[in-house]
Amino acid sequence: MKGTFVSCLVILMGAGICACEQKSAQEVVVYTSVDDVFARPIAQRFEKETDITVRLVPDTEETKSTGLLNRLLAEKERPQADVFWSGDPVRAAILKAKGVAAPYRSPQADGLPPRFSDPDGHWTGFSARARVLMYNRNLVPEGQEPASVMDLLDPRFKGKACIANPLFGTTSMHAAALFAILGEDKAKAFFEGFSANDGKMLSSNGEVRRRVATGEFAVGVTDTDDVNVARLEGKPVGMVYPDANGMGTLIIPNCAVLIANGPNPDAGRRFIDYLLRPETEQALAESEAAQIPLRPGVPVPEAVPSIERLKPMAVNYTTLAGLLETLSSGYLPEWVDQQSR
Amino acid sequence: MISCLVLERPGTWRTIGVTALLFIAVLPAAPLVWSALVSLASASVFAGNAFQNAIENSILLALCVAVVSLAIGLPFGVLTALYEFPGRSVFFALATLPLLVPSFLWAIGWASLAARLAPFVSTTLSGFPGCLVVMSTQGIPLVLLIAYAATLALSGSQVDAARLAGGERVVVRSVARYVASPTLLAAGLSGVLTLSDPGPGQIFGFPTAASEILISFSARYDFVLAGRQCVMLTALVLALAAPLVFFSIPRLASEVLVRQSRKVRRIQHQRLAGVVVAALGIFVFIGILVPLLGLMLPLVGGTAFFRAWNELSHTAGNTLGYAIGAGTIATFLGLPLALCAGRNDQLRAVCFGVALGLLSLPPAFTALGIVQLAAAAPAWADLFLRSRFTVCMALGLRFFPVVAVLGLRAWGATSATWVLVASLHGVSLGTYLRRVTLPLLLPVGGVGLLLVALLATADISTVLLLHPPGERSLPLAILTVMANAPETLVASLCLVYVTAAIGLLTVVWTIAEGRNV
Repeated sequence: MKGTFVSCLVILMGAGICACEQKSAQEVVVYTSVDDVFARPIAQRFEKETDITVRLVPDTEETKSTGLLNRLLAEKERPQADVFWSGDPVRAAILKAKGVAAPYRSPQADGLPPRFSDPDGHWTGFSARARVLMYNRNLVPEGQEPASVMDLLDPRFKGKACIANPLFGTTSMHAAALFAILGEDKAKAFFEGFSANDGKMLSSNGEVRRRVATGEFAVGVTDTDDVNVARLEGKPVGMVYPDANGMGTLIIPNCAVLIANGPNPDAGRRFIDYLLRPETEQALAESEAAQIPLRPGVPVPEAVPSIERLKPMAVNYTTLAGLLETLSSGYLPEWVDQQSR
Repeated sequence: MISCLVLERPGTWRTIGVTALLFIAVLPAAPLVWSALVSLASASVFAGNAFQNAIENSILLALCVAVVSLAIGLPFGVLTALYEFPGRSVFFALATLPLLVPSFLWAIGWASLAARLAPFVSTTLSGFPGCLVVMSTQGIPLVLLIAYAATLALSGSQVDAARLAGGERVVVRSVARYVASPTLLAAGLSGVLTLSDPGPGQIFGFPTAASEILISFSARYDFVLAGRQCVMLTALVLALAAPLVFFSIPRLASEVLVRQSRKVRRIQHQRLAGVVVAALGIFVFIGILVPLLGLMLPLVGGTAFFRAWNELSHTAGNTLGYAIGAGTIATFLGLPLALCAGRNDQLRAVCFGVALGLLSLPPAFTALGIVQLAAAAPAWADLFLRSRFTVCMALGLRFFPVVAVLGLRAWGATSATWVLVASLHGVSLGTYLRRVTLPLLLPVGGVGLLLVALLATADISTVLLLHPPGERSLPLAILTVMANAPETLVASLCLVYVTAAIGLLTVVWTIAEGRNV
């Protein structure tokens, strides 16, 4: 037992010593809310091309963790991160509002549509996901696929529709977008109607993917990358870009944010430049994420639509961040509470 | 020369020692607690009806988890300590596995399996029942280990005397009564630990206080509101725990007047061994194998073991380092705290109350406090505040109450007359500490270290918020890849992790059995 104690002490001291590990000549610290399986290959390519070591800190909606955004906010006075690679523009806008983001207009941003970026340059949007309707092909006959998020209120999907918790992740952004586009009354009517139709709230988009794929639900709202992963796994699922003839589909661009006063600003800018290149958009389109390039003319695989073929929802992403803050303290927790009973 | 009598005498050093050690433990949470307390004056409400409902749910869940853990863990712990049965090490490794795996992974396993079975299974599990199953799976091993350790603290002669007096029934009843006090504490701790865990509640759709606090942190980014909610939850825990404290404190200090060196000898008893094996088998099957099945079903469609092994090789060092570091720090804080509190009921009550309060705080609360401290500190402090040591420290501080409570009990169970006799013979404080106190507390320290290491491994929030970039642990790696990784990769990672954990635990238990620890 004494020996065990001494060993532990030695290991602890070793851990402390290792804590002062040598840093490589050049490195960049990247916090990312993009799923690890998609972000890491891009980071590895950047390392190969530039010899700059990327220290990647990923997060995920699935864990329901307190999250990296909080870490960034708490580290504001002396940040560890150089870049935040956000999976959506709302978190990027929050960083701007809290004074954590620094303005940076990358020369590589040429050709990216300005409506998906911050006008002041605090975040730049590139490759996007879309909020889509995912359905189980065994449960939804061909020709009867849902076409609009409003179809979730249709009696034929009673007890068979699901969405993720609208307080978290891209679902929260989607909820804010519905309030922005439809107005408060209609948006509330949508959520109430969803509950009245025995729609089910699940813990995450991943859970929506899994449970629609297994056939527990016929239809759910999730992101394009979730559906693509399910497709690649051979699940019997289909996907619809909703409201092509109405309010449009919510597009969720990735965003590159330079952190103010980060320890390696030059390497941070180089990483952002790398992210915004057409080649990165192409790589993300060809990956399992099947992300949609925002830059026109980037070659895409057959399964990935070009942005021109979609009807993006006309939302102002900066406004959405403010609206989401209001909704997160008001209607959405009430609705979630109601759903949980 | 300082006399060893000082260990049994009152003195200001006790108050100073307890205050200093508790100050260290509370320090990381202080910034957020302070801002929450300051805002109390201006806050008309704490958080609304939803939070009050969530608190009621949390308290109900915590009480049920404590009761279930006690009802199952106590008899299992006593029986496994008293009787021989085949495959002990493997059984123990499997039974303690839930402590190593984050709770929401079990919850996802259950939810995935239920979704593949039938809709009514999902409906049955949703809400409170699912949370109770998952949380109890983690509470039972904690109580089992404490009951096991407490049984082994008895002398062989006492057990033999009970056996002569009335056979195995009397042995089991007497031992169960003897270990009831520490296991009740362990059950209380396992109940309190559920209060800070939002995972299962989120997955099964059962609103808990931890979920509401998570929403304040992650959906509203309102640290002050989260702080107020934590303060309210902690105050409520302390109020509810007051009867437990009053009940436990005198028993914690009940000394063993006669301690014999002969340890409890496990005996062969076919019928009781059969009962133990069957009961542990049922627990392992329902609590562990069923949710594991849910997590690993995708392996039928293929595997990704190479990638999983790659991930393991990159993160195994950090995972072990964080766990052992946390256990060591918790032990080095918890046992001195017990020593300082001694047999003073007031100090014991304070220690116990603060321990419960700390355990009820969400891990993110302490971790974000450290992040803020680090951001305000000069760069040279990064060695302590932004390194792997920081992760160990935060995890150690979070779980040190477990060791402190065990230590309080262990010190209270020693005989005060030993010190008196030693002082009559002129034994110095240093010699007494080295020759008597340390050997007495070492087994408790070992159990505490192991428990904290296990609990720390499953704590994702702290590691996520504090790990130096690129230095993640394996559980964190699993969780960050699982959102959109192919199911086969996630299943392979889970299998690799669980296999490695069972292997490691089996080795630990085999060594412990060999040394009759």
